[in-house]
Amino acid sequence: MSVSKEQLQKDKKYILALDAGGTMTDTILVKDDGTFTVGKALTNKQDEAASYKESVEDAAQSIGITSREAHENASVSIYAGTGMLNTLLTGTGKKVGLLVTRGFEDMSIMEGGLTYLGQTQSEILHNQLHKHTRPMVDRQNVHGVSERISGGSYFMGKHIDPGTVMVPLCLKHIKEGVKKLIKADVEVIGILFINSYIEQSHEHKAKSVALDMLKDAGIDIPVVCSSDIAPVSKENNRLKSLLLQCFAAEHTRETIADVEKTAIEDGYSARLLTLLSYGGAVNVEYPRLYETVISGPIGGMMGAQVMSQKLGLKNVCTADMGGTSFDVGLIVNNMLSIRKDPDFAGHRLALPMVAIDSVGSGAGSAVWIDEYKRLHVGPESAGAEVGICYKYDKLTVTDVNVAMGYVDPDYFLGGKVKLDVEKAKAALKKVVADPLGLDIYQAGKGILSVVNAQMRDAAKAILVSKGYNTGDFTMMCYGGAGPVHMWGYTQDFDLADVITFPYAAAFSAFGGACAEYLHRYHMGVVISIPNGSDDAGKMAVADKIDGAWRSLEAKAIAEMASEGIDSEELEYRYGFYGRYMGQLESFETLLDEGSAKSPEDIDKIIAAFEEMYTNIYPDGARFPDAGYAITEVFVQAVAPKAMPEIIEHEIEGVTPPEAAYVETRQVSHEGEFHDFKVWQMSELKAGNIIHGPSIIRDPMTTVIIPPEKRIEIDNFMVLHYR
Amino acid sequence: MATVMKEGLGLPLEKTLAYKLSQRDTTYDETGCYWGTKELTLKDQDPIKYEQFFSRLQSAVFAAREKARYVAASPGGREMGESVWALATAEGDTLAMSLGFISHCAAFPVSIKHMIDNDFEDNPGINDGDVFGTDDPLTSGAPHPGDTYTLVPIAVEGEVIAWACSVNHIMEAGAPQAGSWPVFTVDTFMDGFVFPPMKTGENLRQAKWWETLWMRRTRAGAMNILDDKMRLAGCSMIHGSIHEIAEEYGVEYYKQACKEIIEESRRMILDNMRSTLIPGRYEGSCFRISMLKGQQTIWKHADKNEMLHVHTMFSQDEKGGIVFDTEGSSRWGYHGFNGYPGGSDVGLYLGITTTFAHSCKASAGVNMNVESIYHEGSIYNPDTEFAACANIWAQSMQMQCLSSSAIHRNFFMRGYLEEAFAPEDSWDGVQGSGVLEDGTPYGFTNFEWVGGGAMGAYPFKDGTPCTWAQHTQLCNVGNSEEFEYLIPPLHHLGRKLEPGYCGHGKYRGGVGQSSVHWMQETGQRLGITRGGSATSMTTFLSSGMNGGYPAPGVITVTALNTNIPDLIKADGDTPTTAGEVLAYAAKGKLTGDITSWKYDPPEQSMGDNDLWANAAGASGGWGDPLERENSSVVEDIRIGQLPEDFAKTMYGVVATKDEDGMVTMDEAATKQEQDALYASRKADSKPAVEWWKEQKAKVESHTIREELLEMYRSSTSFAGYDKHYRNFWQLDDDFEI
Repeated sequence: MSVSKEQLQKDKKYILALDAGGTMTDTILVKDDGTFTVGKALTNKQDEAASYKESVEDAAQSIGITSREAHENASVSIYAGTGMLNTLLTGTGKKVGLLVTRGFEDMSIMEGGLTYLGQTQSEILHNQLHKHTRPMVDRQNVHGVSERISGGSYFMGKHIDPGTVMVPLCLKHIKEGVKKLIKADVEVIGILFINSYIEQSHEHKAKSVALDMLKDAGIDIPVVCSSDIAPVSKENNRLKSLLLQCFAAEHTRETIADVEKTAIEDGYSARLLTLLSYGGAVNVEYPRLYETVISGPIGGMMGAQVMSQKLGLKNVCTADMGGTSFDVGLIVNNMLSIRKDPDFAGHRLALPMVAIDSVGSGAGSAVWIDEYKRLHVGPESAGAEVGICYKYDKLTVTDVNVAMGYVDPDYFLGGKVKLDVEKAKAALKKVVADPLGLDIYQAGKGILSVVNAQMRDAAKAILVSKGYNTGDFTMMCYGGAGPVHMWGYTQDFDLADVITFPYAAAFSAFGGACAEYLHRYHMGVVISIPNGSDDAGKMAVADKIDGAWRSLEAKAIAEMASEGIDSEELEYRYGFYGRYMGQLESFETLLDEGSAKSPEDIDKIIAAFEEMYTNIYPDGARFPDAGYAITEVFVQAVAPKAMPEIIEHEIEGVTPPEAAYVETRQVSHEGEFHDFKVWQMSELKAGNIIHGPSIIRDPMTTVIIPPEKRIEIDNFMVLHYR
Repeated sequence: MATVMKEGLGLPLEKTLAYKLSQRDTTYDETGCYWGTKELTLKDQDPIKYEQFFSRLQSAVFAAREKARYVAASPGGREMGESVWALATAEGDTLAMSLGFISHCAAFPVSIKHMIDNDFEDNPGINDGDVFGTDDPLTSGAPHPGDTYTLVPIAVEGEVIAWACSVNHIMEAGAPQAGSWPVFTVDTFMDGFVFPPMKTGENLRQAKWWETLWMRRTRAGAMNILDDKMRLAGCSMIHGSIHEIAEEYGVEYYKQACKEIIEESRRMILDNMRSTLIPGRYEGSCFRISMLKGQQTIWKHADKNEMLHVHTMFSQDEKGGIVFDTEGSSRWGYHGFNGYPGGSDVGLYLGITTTFAHSCKASAGVNMNVESIYHEGSIYNPDTEFAACANIWAQSMQMQCLSSSAIHRNFFMRGYLEEAFAPEDSWDGVQGSGVLEDGTPYGFTNFEWVGGGAMGAYPFKDGTPCTWAQHTQLCNVGNSEEFEYLIPPLHHLGRKLEPGYCGHGKYRGGVGQSSVHWMQETGQRLGITRGGSATSMTTFLSSGMNGGYPAPGVITVTALNTNIPDLIKADGDTPTTAGEVLAYAAKGKLTGDITSWKYDPPEQSMGDNDLWANAAGASGGWGDPLERENSSVVEDIRIGQLPEDFAKTMYGVVATKDEDGMVTMDEAATKQEQDALYASRKADSKPAVEWWKEQKAKVESHTIREELLEMYRSSTSFAGYDKHYRNFWQLDDDFEI
């Protein structure tokens, strides 16, 4: 990798990207000569600025510079943290006051009844485990305001038009509510009115009244409208987005500002960026900061997107195996797959989020047998305690890998951590082998088979459930444990290719460095296109869609200008959410062009919808006779930012250099012992082919190559598993 | 030995469905094990391969739901859990199921048995990728025609090895009275679009005529077609996955492993029953009012009011399995509150499947541990083929509530306090049809208070609002913005919790929820009814939870010709719950024709500015309310879930809430009030024997309401209950009830 010089600030030669996880804060420092280094520090949840600086220092020291030198020479620093999650889990957010449409005051308590979010299947079946999440607002600080705006209906044009005021806004109720909220010392006020995603005037008027009253009272607190935060249908999801913004995002903004301040005091001269949950990076001024609610796994997805473009891969299935989970995502036609109403920490949000599915299979997952002799893996995880071979008190998948010989007990984290192979074997015997009447290697084979199958099924499910042919996808394997299990979870899986990277363990931080500077703008619309619409009808639709896109572009220009970005530098991408009339779900449809000026343009839009739909569903699920509805349009605005560049290497011989050979050791693989040759990752060259049985070792991960398999290293130092 | 071929099918006899069905039953009768599977050979030989195999089946049905539900037109089907996809054996026994409507898996074997028994293999043929549909309570196990099933056979070389199955609750069933649960229905011919199992498509595609039928026979044709496409899309996915799995593992492994999975699950679920239940007889009764008198003059036989009795006896057999006997429940009648055994089982299993199968493979194994007894001629097993079943859920939910109540009392007695709660699940759907001003007709159901309700109190903590739905694990009450989009004249003036609306107790149940629907632009006509599991005439009870009150019934209030426009114009102070509609009317603030319905109202013609208010989803309490901590009562007042007057009359807590929301309790007045409540109780109480003697005198003199007398006459027409009744009241054999 190297830094794209044309995008760098003058004399700036580094990119810093940090992934602050629950345990570790990882830094990847990309230099202009294509090399990179990794730094680590324990995450300090009470003072993230401190762990930020410590992690940067660690990375800087490894190349012989100070953190100040790294900061002074950094064109960009990107920080993906877990602050918002921690705020939610610990309930330490802002004191929120809420104005809602009269009659909807209990929404935050009822939560739409979604008391099972985030649970496993057996937990969901167990009714007694259903519970509400910790509320983000005290019910006493929720006040109703009489008002009502129509949202339109399925019978478009035949009933009350969307946006019609049915009950006028009651100023008296607003004033009474705000007065009480001022008295209650709330720190932020949110406003949510029903159908405001169609017509914002009531929310905006209420905001204006509230701001006037706050000003008169000498109070400076934010007032946030749901229609500004998430202008989309379904009030329960919109409320959660609003509350997340009010309760946690404003708090997180302060944390990121602290981190930015620390970076600047240490010599950094640009804005600190953080990652959006749907891809892209923004600075701390971004108004909808709640959209950064998850960012760690998103980094990996963005890295995968960059690598797929570099390698000319159209369709990629990402597989990120860490200590606690196996996360799968998709890149289709070079675009990240987005989920519209994702679940996060027990809340269902109205927020586009990169679609990532997780199963609780990680290297640290606990392995156990129940009273019915059923084998279970996860979801409990050892985390940093690794397994019985280190500090954990239960058998884990890593213990099994150590017992089988895949993982070198003397080279874990490059030898910094020594693992006890005998303890791992003893535990494997006691916990699994003896109860099932197997020897330890048969038991180990079985456990790995189950773990690998769980991961393979998860990956297959995300592909098949969207109607894709797995053979059209390349699987990109990363995460600390990804290359260890790559052989297993890709077994009997029809894929175009399987690849991994020398820096697989720090791939998410690398991805953070790859993030585009991107904002996404949505607008809820009520547009119908009856089957057999004439040109006049289509032209009316075209006007509406085109008008919406232009208005979103104008919003992007204004908002990004406030972040210091010139409108001339912006690029736009366009799309909409559409459905057959009568359906409740709208499907994201991406377009090549963002202009609708003629009936033919509407035909193209319909064709794009049909193509997208038939990619997902069998032909029998199509229903064009019903006509079409468009419920949202969106624009992505992208500004230039320094990006890492992948270096192309000279191809050398297929035979790896002698210096790369480390040793040969016995590994129990698939029920038999084999002599696996061990190679050092850092010594391998582009063009080398490593035949199995082999292991490529690196301080941060291990690549397993079974007999009859091989790794081919290409000119970008990408490892192809074949 | 020469292979015996089935004539006409070109298949060896043992590969036919008819043979498999008969062998399954014979071997089970002989051994007590599913298909005579005494040893779990495949599991024992290679447990890991076996678990992987099951994991593949489970993934297939999960993936099907996750993908297909987005095709839906109904919120119920898409995300509110009113749908399920499953994989069944060739005989219809469920192997793996998605989340959602899982108790409907009890219906699949009924449909498939019907097809086998009626030689569908021969005509019209059961081939790979064919599409079958049904919603007929008599022949398919569907509870009512609102629940619509799609079944796709999966065959390898002509042999059916599995079925991909799906069901969802559609928006409109095409009965004379519109919606999902028509209340006024006399016989099956008024239940709506009822169709027994039939082939509706081939090669995973529906026939065009099938779509036409939906359009012609229901009022929400396009939506029902989309739901149909949703079910089929998921079944198609399962179909593809199972072909892959069968090829990978081999058909013989597939068939044997499926038998072992069900047998294994049967054993595990039996273990769960043994370890959590205490053998005994747990009796329960619930009641329902059917008020059809005067609604029509055409069918004299249906022109009557009735009180229906739901009587149950929960016990265990010698192995530890559940025996559930409904003897004493009323005889079937000319109303929609009947059901056939398949649909009744779907109701019964609501509480049983999740309770006993959540920790193991949830399959048909659960059904083999339950003996449900529905006496011929009763509301659960009419001795006619033409009984109406449109609203079976009304009393099958009561029946299963009694079963669940028995189970949770068992948990309490065994000391599983964290598992025991008051398990009610009352729900209410608003349904109807209308014609817009321009002549566009439509039909609808609002599922919001079907999607979820409050959870009952535990022996150590309060229940919580809007937390669960016993008929699906996916509690979800949807969004107002979406329901208004689908049902244009109905606009929410309120959608919130109804303060004080719960079963009170030392630990109170979760508070139920309420809506106020405001009619706007009703067009040429709009008619509304309700479908639901309870009415305010009867409690929806989980009785006997150590003195806690059961959940209050469902409330329906209509307000016609109101002054809502004036209230809006004044200051927007409009009622936001059913309770407020009544309170505003009592104060004279809301004017119009206000009716609080104690039973299912006949269809109401609604016009602009009329209100339809309802409340449902309340749950029961646990323990004596007078033992509740005063501070908990004060907190309930503070958070707006308990009105001050309720606090006083129910808990004896005298407290006031000021403008800022601060609650102050008057300790002296509270002590005085609570002492008075205890004294009042003491004054009202009497020895049980004295009470019994008084009531016996009424029974003997027939000085009870005619409807009650009729109800008991109906119940005692079943010999076992007659004996039970006479024994309790010590009546002579020749006494005429």
